Amino acid sequence: MVRILQALASLKLTLAGMVLLGIGAALSYGNPVETSIWVLVAPMALLALNLAAAILTNPRINRQPGLLVFHVGLLGLVLLAGIGRLTHLDAHLEIAQGQSFRPELMMDVRKGPWHAGALDKVAFTQGRFTVDYAPQLRRGLTHSQVFVPQPDGTVLELDVGDDRPLVLERYRFYTTHNKGFAPLLTWIPHEGEAVTGLVHMPSYPLFEYKQDNRWTPPGTEEDIKFWLQLDTGLTLEDSWVLDGRNSRGVLVVTSGDQRIELKPGEEAQLPHGRLRFERLTTWMGYRVFYDPTIQWLFFVSVAGVFGLGHFFWKRLSLVAWTDDDKGPDSKGGTA
Amino acid sequence: MNNIVAEQPWLWAGLVAYLVATLVAMWGLSPRLAGVEGGVARQHEKVVLASISLGVLLLTIAIAVRWVRIGHGPWLNLFELLMSQLWSLGLIYALLYWRLPGLRPSAAIVMLVMWILGSWVLLLEPLPSHFPATYYNFWKWFHVGLGKVFLGLLLAGVGLAGVMILRRTERGRQWFRAMPTDAVIDRLAWRLMMLALVFDSLMLITGAVWAQDAWGRYWAWDALETSSFFTWLLLAVGLHVRLSFKLPPWLSGVIIISIFVLAFVTYFGIPYISPAAHKGMV
Repeated sequence: MVRILQALASLKLTLAGMVLLGIGAALSYGNPVETSIWVLVAPMALLALNLAAAILTNPRINRQPGLLVFHVGLLGLVLLAGIGRLTHLDAHLEIAQGQSFRPELMMDVRKGPWHAGALDKVAFTQGRFTVDYAPQLRRGLTHSQVFVPQPDGTVLELDVGDDRPLVLERYRFYTTHNKGFAPLLTWIPHEGEAVTGLVHMPSYPLFEYKQDNRWTPPGTEEDIKFWLQLDTGLTLEDSWVLDGRNSRGVLVVTSGDQRIELKPGEEAQLPHGRLRFERLTTWMGYRVFYDPTIQWLFFVSVAGVFGLGHFFWKRLSLVAWTDDDKGPDSKGGTA
Repeated sequence: MNNIVAEQPWLWAGLVAYLVATLVAMWGLSPRLAGVEGGVARQHEKVVLASISLGVLLLTIAIAVRWVRIGHGPWLNLFELLMSQLWSLGLIYALLYWRLPGLRPSAAIVMLVMWILGSWVLLLEPLPSHFPATYYNFWKWFHVGLGKVFLGLLLAGVGLAGVMILRRTERGRQWFRAMPTDAVIDRLAWRLMMLALVFDSLMLITGAVWAQDAWGRYWAWDALETSSFFTWLLLAVGLHVRLSFKLPPWLSGVIIISIFVLAFVTYFGIPYISPAAHKGMV
């Protein structure tokens, strides 16, 4: 048993594991979908095994508190990263001004099999937002207003954006460059009840030239095309602020041969019903992130590095830095 | 070239001071000084230290002037990054040069490496840069600061690595006759590498915290993250190789220089060829 452990603790195995990890990292570059997570997990598992064996058998590690803390910290990082992958959630969210968060609004949801967050307890309502732009459309600060209901019945207003996420129930909502306009429309069919909803136009100003979308009213095959003609004050030469309050839009509605221009409050008669352009509003795109291990990852990694620092500090102060070639470790092989 | 902007004269003056340090350090290797009594033979070292320190001071002024002119620090475009690294590498190396007399003759190599940055910055236009929203985050100070110490330690290690390699020739042995034996230099170089590993690790940790704040993920294997992970891994591999095998000094030097080259590419190449968010312009 001891022999097996010693073989597993071999430094040469460490080097082999590191080379495999390097290959895994190269294959993981850019997070390609076709690359299996095992290219990283397998060498990490090998290194974890090697490290655990070294901690048990190698007095160089287990009798040096600093080095021990560092290596245990590395093991902890591998474990935490694994737990993080099993419990994480990543998603995108587009939410319009005045709209309240519902988990169904999230898109591109990727989550680990053990994900058990309290997403149903997350509650907030999106307010307005502004985005500063320097000349040549270089994006500056984003200020997104959100309203969070409190247990005492009051509503907390928060300003989030960029590196200031909205954090609720450990879910972190980060604003993104993805945001735009959304006409609020009411569809009044010839028969049945009226429905009101939003049509999100493509991200603005990224797709300033292409503010269009299409929609098929429920129960029909009518293909309604929308094109939003915007006046936002956008200018390339000067600084500019994207602000829904300063933006006006005319909605061009095309259905079959019909082409109608609607201003807010106006409506159009279409083959299967009436369409009313209630008002123009905005939507903000968020990146949703959940990983219960991130704080632990930080603490464990910092503790590990301080352990390493402590080890080196003790080791480096044992002998002078530039003494003659007579020191106890002057033959190489150790430091 | 466009009109001269306010920071350029200070930058050029700083580079002139570095040039003086480089030339005097090279002069200090001259065989004419062989056999000269130790104290006299090492007098030029004071000039080298003073010149590097003066260069750092002048570059500090250059950075401050630019900061006032464009409204933010040297974080973003290549001109700023090179100017900032010339400053920090000079500062860290001056401290090491002062505290570790044994490595002083290697300044001739270190300063030549510094001139890669020095010549490069002279070829660039001092264009103002846009300060992205993600750079308001205070973690950037830790990330960038730790990275500077990391690169400074690697640079000092490169000087020693160069000595170990050049000493394979008769001329190299003559140039670096005043330095300790290869075994001592090797030990000193790897001590610097150990410290570099600590600072590199802290740089990656603080970078991950910044990335989490800035882009909502702490690690995503983008170009810069992948490259910086390779640098960390190669450093760890180097330390473990040295523990596992008895390396000849020249090979030890080659490993150290390889680590530096990878770190150099990570710093000055990847951010400017990759379309990833790390480019800083998003």
